[in-house]
This record gives sequence, C-alpha cells and structure tokens, in this order.
Amino acid sequence: MAAGLLAPMIRFAIDPVLQSQEKSGDLVNVNLSVDDITDTPQRVDWEVQQVDGWYESNINRTAWVYKDENGEIVALSPICTHLGCFVSWEGSEDYPNEFYCPCHDGRYYKDGTNVPGTPPLRPLDVYEHAVENGMLYLGEPKPREGA
Amino acid sequence: MKWLRKDLEKYVQAKEYVDTVIIPVQMFQVVDENQLEKDSFDSEVLAIFANEIEKELSGRVMLAPAYTYVKGADLGREAERLNEWIKHLKQQPFKHIFVLTLDMQWKKSEASLDANLLWLPGLKPTNLQSQEAVQVIRGQIEQISELIRSYW
Ligand code: FES
Repeated sequence: MAAGLLAPMIRFAIDPVLQSQEKSGDLVNVNLSVDDITDTPQRVDWEVQQVDGWYESNINRTAWVYKDENGEIVALSPICTHLGCFVSWEGSEDYPNEFYCPCHDGRYYKDGTNVPGTPPLRPLDVYEHAVENGMLYLGEPKPREGA
Repeated sequence: MKWLRKDLEKYVQAKEYVDTVIIPVQMFQVVDENQLEKDSFDSEVLAIFANEIEKELSGRVMLAPAYTYVKGADLGREAERLNEWIKHLKQQPFKHIFVLTLDMQWKKSEASLDANLLWLPGLKPTNLQSQEAVQVIRGQIEQISELIRSYW
C-alpha cells in the first residue's frame, strides 16, 4: 500500500481514566488544512487501522466537514442513523442546504439534526476533532441525542 | 447489509426497508495459467465493488454471498441455478434483484435471468490501493449506485 496514504497518529491528551479504552483517544491527521475548511460541507476521506477480532485491516472513513456560523469546525459522520446508508450534502435537488439519504429519503439539517418526519430518529454522529499546526485531526464518531 | 449475524438481526426488524439484493457472480479457474492473474484480479475487483456498493446503500440493500462457477461452464445452466437463488430470495419482500459481474459472457444469458444484470468492465491490473485506482473505483461506484437508485 502507498505509504503516503496512511495518516500518522497522535495521541490526544485525555483523562487518564479514559486512556485505557484502547484507541479511543487516537486522533488522525486527515490531511486537511483548517484554512481550506469553508462553510460548505466538504467530503473528507482517510484511513485508520482497525483490529476487529479476526481481522486487522485498514478501514476507510469519511466525514462531512465545515465551519458553522461561529467559525467552529464541525465534522459529521455520513452514516445515516436510520439504517446506515451514505448521506450526502445536498444529495437531493429537492432539499437544498440539507444532508440527504437516498435509501428512504432521510434528511438532516446542516448541523446534522434529523428532519422530523423523515425516517432517521437521531442526528448524525459527530467526530471528535482537534487542530494541530493548522491541520485537522479527527477521532471517533460520537452519537448525539435524538431531536 | 451483509449476510452476517449482526446485520440479519437488524434485517428481521427492518425488513420493509430492505427491498434490494445484490448477488455478486464470480468466475473461478486454476487451469488457464495465462489468465490466472487477470481472472483472480477480476474477482478481487468484484469483491471491492460489491462491498463498496453495500456500504453506500447498506440500509436498503442486502449483499448476498457470491455465486461462483467455473470458467467455461455452460452459462445457460448456471443461469437456471441462479434463477433458483432469485426465486428463493423473492420469498422475502425483495423487489429488486441485481446480479453483479465482470464476466462479459453473462450478457448473452441476460434475457434468461430473472434479475437485472449489472455488468462492470474490469480494471487494468494495477495496485488497487493506489490513489488513482481508488478514484476510478469510487467514480464507478457512484454511477452504479445511481443506477440502482433509479429502480427505486
Ligand atoms: S437508511 Fe437513511 S433513511 Fe433509511
């Protein structure tokens, strides 16, 4: 595999109690300069190594990344909280300014909150993030409460 | 969804949302040595496509285990067996059944299949991890999932 693809890992400063939870503190440089993050969600792909029982593998991860109206970085998981399809920013012409799931017309507002009345019952997960030397680092996607 | 315990647990509870099946149809051989590399490469590519499409549409699509046959088999007969699979699948509320293959020979048997044939042109043997290959594959996956969605 191409060496350049594998992002270097940094250990994030976290509570020692949490430190024993393997890997949860690892944030990964996703090769995106903070200056290149705009207020329009952009797709970011990166790889992480995962040991999962029998398999050790590189898995691909994706996030939708943008700056909100306060200039805060938001990195949303693209996995639909209904049944797991891939959600796209403005994925449907009928719903501008929203995330759209093609499987059962699931919709989410820009901040990832599920649009009531569509199949998803909770918002898109949010990736932990950090900024180091102007680069974006992403960790694990974290669930949020339903709307 | 895949044919894995954890996914099937989800499936039985959400059956009405999962109306599409993809069957990867894969050729296998070890005799024609000149073609060994190409044929095995094709089978890797097929597996990648099947997995990635499943990932993209996993809430509505069930990925079946691959249907495998020996190179040079009578595809008319294989089509009959494949139709048995399809008949079996249709006992569940699956409305859309897609057969995914890189073997062009299936084009000739398309009419006798009770499913939609998705034939993919193979890739030139290359490093599948390379940036370039990833880009090409990603582009094709987008097109295939769009095609599948057009049936919904
Ligand atoms: S999987 Fe997204 S709406 Fe059902």
